[in-house]
Amino acid sequence: MGTYRWEKKIVHVSPVGRRQALRSIKSMDQMTSPTPSGVPTDGLVPAGQPLPLRSYLRELWRRRDFLIRVPLEDLRAQNAHTLLGGIWLLLNPVLQVGVYFLVFGVIMPIDRGVDQYLVFLTIGVFVFFYSQRIISEAARSVVVNLGLIRTLRFPRATLPISTTVGQAMAFVPALTVMATVASAYGNWPHYRWLLIPVLLALQTSFSLGAGFVAARYNHTYRDLENLLPFVFRLAFYVSGVLYSVDHYIDSAIGRAAFLANPFYCFVTVWRGVLTGTTAAGEVWAATSAWATITLVVGFALFRSRETTYGGTK
Amino acid sequence: MSRLAIRCSDARVSYTVRSHRPSIRGVLRGQRPNERVIEAVRGVTFDVAVGESVGVVGPNGSGKTSLLQATTGLLPLAGGQVLVRSTPAFLGVQAVLRPHLTGWRNIHLGLLAQGLTAGEAAERAGEVAEFTGLGDFLELRMETYSSGMRARLHFAVATALAPEILLIDEALAVGDREFRKKSDTRLDEHRQAAGTVLLVSHNLAEIRRSCSRVIWLQEGLVVADGPTKDVLSAYEAS
Repeated sequence: MGTYRWEKKIVHVSPVGRRQALRSIKSMDQMTSPTPSGVPTDGLVPAGQPLPLRSYLRELWRRRDFLIRVPLEDLRAQNAHTLLGGIWLLLNPVLQVGVYFLVFGVIMPIDRGVDQYLVFLTIGVFVFFYSQRIISEAARSVVVNLGLIRTLRFPRATLPISTTVGQAMAFVPALTVMATVASAYGNWPHYRWLLIPVLLALQTSFSLGAGFVAARYNHTYRDLENLLPFVFRLAFYVSGVLYSVDHYIDSAIGRAAFLANPFYCFVTVWRGVLTGTTAAGEVWAATSAWATITLVVGFALFRSRETTYGGTK
Repeated sequence: MSRLAIRCSDARVSYTVRSHRPSIRGVLRGQRPNERVIEAVRGVTFDVAVGESVGVVGPNGSGKTSLLQATTGLLPLAGGQVLVRSTPAFLGVQAVLRPHLTGWRNIHLGLLAQGLTAGEAAERAGEVAEFTGLGDFLELRMETYSSGMRARLHFAVATALAPEILLIDEALAVGDREFRKKSDTRLDEHRQAAGTVLLVSHNLAEIRRSCSRVIWLQEGLVVADGPTKDVLSAYEAS
């Protein structure tokens, strides 16, 4: 036992009964619950006070093994009951491209004003879905781990980050397929391709930032989870995934408006890097801005509610 | 020379309960839906020293769980203040880490989440697994476990790294005799290592075994606070 003892005096509640005890509770409360004077409270912090940013980031860094191992094992577990196992991670994007090839290459060869429509489409769809998956998974990451949150102490940002790391790992086969398709249509690997890691980092940080925001609000309003698929569906059609925005929109203002759409920016820049279609400087600038601002703002928004995740509202 | 682990001064917790789902029309008109404020904890004051083990008793709805959750910081306070030495670990009844994962993976995950490296976690996993006593069941997914088995795993993971402050909400009640013995031993070790425990339980024998002091809550207020023997005899007599 510590040397500190709570004062031994206790107010005996006479067995007369609860009701009577409660009736006199006001006066008793003062006697039974004094704040012992002279016991210093240094070293104590208010319950639920978030860590300062530096320590928070340090705690996150300490959990880097959690951030990598857990999604890796999740990926493995995902296909554990299939015959082909991990091969599905590669087969999935291959089949997807196969379908596009069949539909747009063989059955109804249309180009919608674009050269190499198959390449155009593949890059657009893969890149768009990458962000969509990160954001939707991150949105759910907090609410599906309430058990973990309520029991263990760890920076909650670990959860959206770890699902994002998982999606980034799963994107590598898709990226390979994308690059192969591009090469197959004559876009040979080029020194431009060295920008791929940069672009991947930019897109991942944008998506994670948006995922932070989604996770925060999805914890308060589960409605968001139902809404997100429609938001993405809409974004899918207005981001130039299926058609070339340049082909349909002539006005400078119209094009500038598209810069306000991060998905359009990423899709365009990826096409620029892989196939050499020109991606204007302002698109690159907008892409970098989207990546940085979304991550910083998203992280701050998420962390501002750090201590409430897992609580009852 | 004494150090506090928890100081709770005039802590208040209240829940807002809506009688029905808020209607969109009501919200647009600026109406608040029919809300009732339930004061679960109505001004509770106590100190817990480092290394102390305190039981919390009281009838259902007396604010015991709310008090513990306020101590974790999960429930916002409606008034007063709760100070803690470090964020406590909380063991609740419906504790499930990740239901779709096997016991083994939950152990691994829990250790990593608490900041161990993969290597350290692999080293400790065996010891934690042994403590659970679940044997081959660890290969099964946690959702297939009985409540007692879950409690074992959960307790083993949460206490593996000896959190400074441990809050237990009825979580040990579902365990069998063997597990009770184990968890008692671990709680003893925990106390000897200057760990602080707050134990909510309706099992007074359990409280007698592991707590030197008891706080009796009723309708959100402290009725009595003192040595286990005295408070429990008063509680039982009531």
